[in-house]
Amino acid sequence: MGLDFVGRGTEETDGNIITTTIDKVVNWGRKNSLWPMPFGTACCAIEMMATLASKFDLSRFGSEAIRFSPRQSDLLIVSGRISIKMMPVLKRIYDQMPDPKWVISMGACASCGGVFDTYTLIQGVDQFIPVDVYIPGCPPRPEDLIDAVLQVQQKIASGASPKGVEVVYE
Amino acid sequence: MSEENQVEEQPKPLVLEKLEANYADARLAQDASRGTVIIVIRKERAYAVLEYLKTDPELAYTFLVDVTAVDNSQMESELMQFDYARFMVVYQLYSYQGQCRLRVKVPVHENDLNIPSVTGLWKGANWLERETYDMFGINFEGHPDLRRILMPDDFEGHPLRKDYPLRGRGERERFNFDKQNA
Ligand code: SF4
Repeated sequence: MGLDFVGRGTEETDGNIITTTIDKVVNWGRKNSLWPMPFGTACCAIEMMATLASKFDLSRFGSEAIRFSPRQSDLLIVSGRISIKMMPVLKRIYDQMPDPKWVISMGACASCGGVFDTYTLIQGVDQFIPVDVYIPGCPPRPEDLIDAVLQVQQKIASGASPKGVEVVYE
Repeated sequence: MSEENQVEEQPKPLVLEKLEANYADARLAQDASRGTVIIVIRKERAYAVLEYLKTDPELAYTFLVDVTAVDNSQMESELMQFDYARFMVVYQLYSYQGQCRLRVKVPVHENDLNIPSVTGLWKGANWLERETYDMFGINFEGHPDLRRILMPDDFEGHPLRKDYPLRGRGERERFNFDKQNA
C-alpha cells in the first residue's frame, strides 16, 4: 500500500510537497478499495465465503466492502457453475457495474465448465464477459482467491485497463 | 449351512394384500428392493390406486416424496416388459403411520405421454411434476401450471431423454441476451 509512486519534492519545500500524476493517485485509491461483487453459484462460493470471513480475512487487502449490488462494486468474483439459464443474469449484473470493473473467474467451472461438459453448463464465462484473472482449482483455496485479488491490484497499479475496456484513452 | 443363509419367511406387506383385494386389475408387477415394496400399475388406474393409497386409513401414504421418470429406450429387456412402454413414471411414497416406503411405477408409452396429475392428492406434486415434464416431456393432465421449472422457458427438447445429446444441441454457446433480458 506504500506511496511508492510519489516524488518528495525539492530541498526547499522540505518534504511538504509531493509530486505525482493524477492517474497514479487514482489507481492507488482504486487498488486499495476494491469493492467485490460476489457471484457465488456453487461449491466454490463456500471457499469465497471462507476468504471473506475472519479466518482468511480478505479485508486485510483492501477489499473490505462486499457489495451485493452491482452498481456499487468494481470487482466481480464469479465463483461456481454458470448454467445457460444463469448466464443472462450474470451478463446483466456485469453490465450494471460501473466502469472501470474487473472480473475474477474462480475455479474450473467458471473458467471452462470443469467436469460438467453437459448441455446445461456454460463452458467458460469468458465466452460472454471479459475475465481479468482466472483461478484454477476445484475448489481453489482461499489463498488462491487472495492471490487473484492481489493480481488484480497489481494490474490496477500498473495502469493497465481492465479486460472489459475496449477503448483505451491516451 | 449357517443361520444367516436361511431365508426367513416374510409376512406379506399389508399394502400388497389390500391392493390385491381391491385393485387386482390395476397391478402389472411387483418387486421389492431393500425393504421397499415396488408395484407397477396400469396407467388408466393409476390415479385411483394412488388416491386409495393415500386415503385408506390403514395404509395412509400421506407423504409424496418424489415424482420422477425413467427413460428405458436403451434397455431392451425393460422395454419389452410392459409392452414397449418407453417411460416409467415413478412415485415415491412414505407412510408416517406405517413408517414404510412404497414405490409406484406407471409405464407410459411414447405415443401417449399423458398421465393424470396427482396435484389434487398431494399439493407437493406440483413442482415435481413440472420437473418430470421439463426433463422427460411427460404431460400431466390436470396440472394447474405445467411449465418448465429447471430449463429456460424457450428451451427445446427434454434433456433427460436418452436421445438427447449430453453436450446439448449448441444451446450453451448461443443464446439471445436481448430476448432473455427483455
Ligand atoms: S470448480 Fe469445483 S468447487 Fe468450484 S464450483 Fe466447480 S465443482 Fe464446485
